Amino acid sequence: MTTLADAPDWFMLVAFCKGLWPSMDERGERPATPDDPVETETTRLLRSCAQGDQAAFRRLYDLQSPRLHGLALRLLQQPALAADAVHDAFVQVWQRSARFDPSRNAGEAWLASLLRYRAIDILRRRSREQYGTERTEEADGSPDAFDQLAGRADGKALHRCLEELEEAQRRAIVLAFLDGLSHVELASRLRSPLGTVKSWVRRGLLSLRRCLEA
Amino acid sequence: MSGAGRLTEPDEALTVLAGEYVLGTLPRDEAARVAAEADADPVLADAIAAWEERLAPLLPAVPAVPPPELLWPRIASTAFGRARRQEPGRGPFRSLPFWRGVAAASLLAAASAGIALLARPPAPVPVAVLAPPGAARAAFVLEAARDGSLTVVPIHPAPVPAGRDLELWSLAEGAHVPRPLGVLPSGGVRLPVDRLPAGRAQILVSLEPAGGSPTGLPTGPVLYGAAIGRPE
Repeated sequence: MTTLADAPDWFMLVAFCKGLWPSMDERGERPATPDDPVETETTRLLRSCAQGDQAAFRRLYDLQSPRLHGLALRLLQQPALAADAVHDAFVQVWQRSARFDPSRNAGEAWLASLLRYRAIDILRRRSREQYGTERTEEADGSPDAFDQLAGRADGKALHRCLEELEEAQRRAIVLAFLDGLSHVELASRLRSPLGTVKSWVRRGLLSLRRCLEA
Repeated sequence: MSGAGRLTEPDEALTVLAGEYVLGTLPRDEAARVAAEADADPVLADAIAAWEERLAPLLPAVPAVPPPELLWPRIASTAFGRARRQEPGRGPFRSLPFWRGVAAASLLAAASAGIALLARPPAPVPVAVLAPPGAARAAFVLEAARDGSLTVVPIHPAPVPAGRDLELWSLAEGAHVPRPLGVLPSGGVRLPVDRLPAGRAQILVSLEPAGGSPTGLPTGPVLYGAAIGRPE
């Protein structure tokens, strides 16, 4: 017999408190595109979250969750794990929004970082639990990401400076950042000794900073 | 190895450590240590934030993917349930509700659900909405009265096919078999407190043959649901 617990399409519940959360109609009215001044809106919402504004938290979720979820899927490759990472990241956003410092980070970068750290933590935990298993090697999407940089106003400097790096340094940095690879995984993916890969990352980081701050 | 790999200046060591943390290449325990240190060390926190900003332009290349519908209730449940930020007496919702809407969306989420704030109502107050997945609007709202009863109020229910009825069920936390609460008329219905389980439970609505399920258990699809909580 199929019980309710097995119902494939489970229901959605929204706690309904007047004014506590925005109405569903307000959701997603502002898509997050690179050209949109999302930072401003995101930063403003983060400030409101720091004041305990639950409606602002909901708006922030609507605005930023597709981007963060996409990032989580890219890093974790499994929908259930990606959802866990987005859950953990947003709970942290709510708990730590008072620590958000707009003079240090744009809101968007701060959120993406929280998500990445959660996702990478899940990755590392899993790779230890499943010792000996390797993540599936998929098409390396990092050249695309690198090429796309040049086309965006905020990406030009990073693109130019990544281009100045040695090919191996650039690949190591972009792969680590977008795929969440550890030093060990980088070594295996790039088929190079661990020490060499660590050195690529180190020297690449220092050159990159020099170039970006020049 | 050439000298290029050696970090002679403390500033360079800090830059590399922060950069490796942001890239995510550090082992898990080391990353945790760096995160903890950054909480107490503004210089390290600055170095980390600087890398987050420098590398952020790479991120838009990753396509956005809307998260599952059920994720928000789960997040709200954890965030608002545990770390309640609202100050006492602020806004219309104060402490210790009799019925509380629970922001939960699935059995899994309901199991660990936190509870949203709601005032003990002088008049019936909506505590939860019954809505299908992805719905733009609530189908029904559950309103709590002072005596502990719940009233199911129709808002935008989907039309019920001819020859069918909606039926209400309660499913107590941990239970596998729902208890029937009777047919849900299109105009709504009041559920007296003695028919409702104490503690956390779900209120479900299934589509049944006219007059309700002949078996005493749901036979049709569950269309709507809400999680509720009541102090035991």
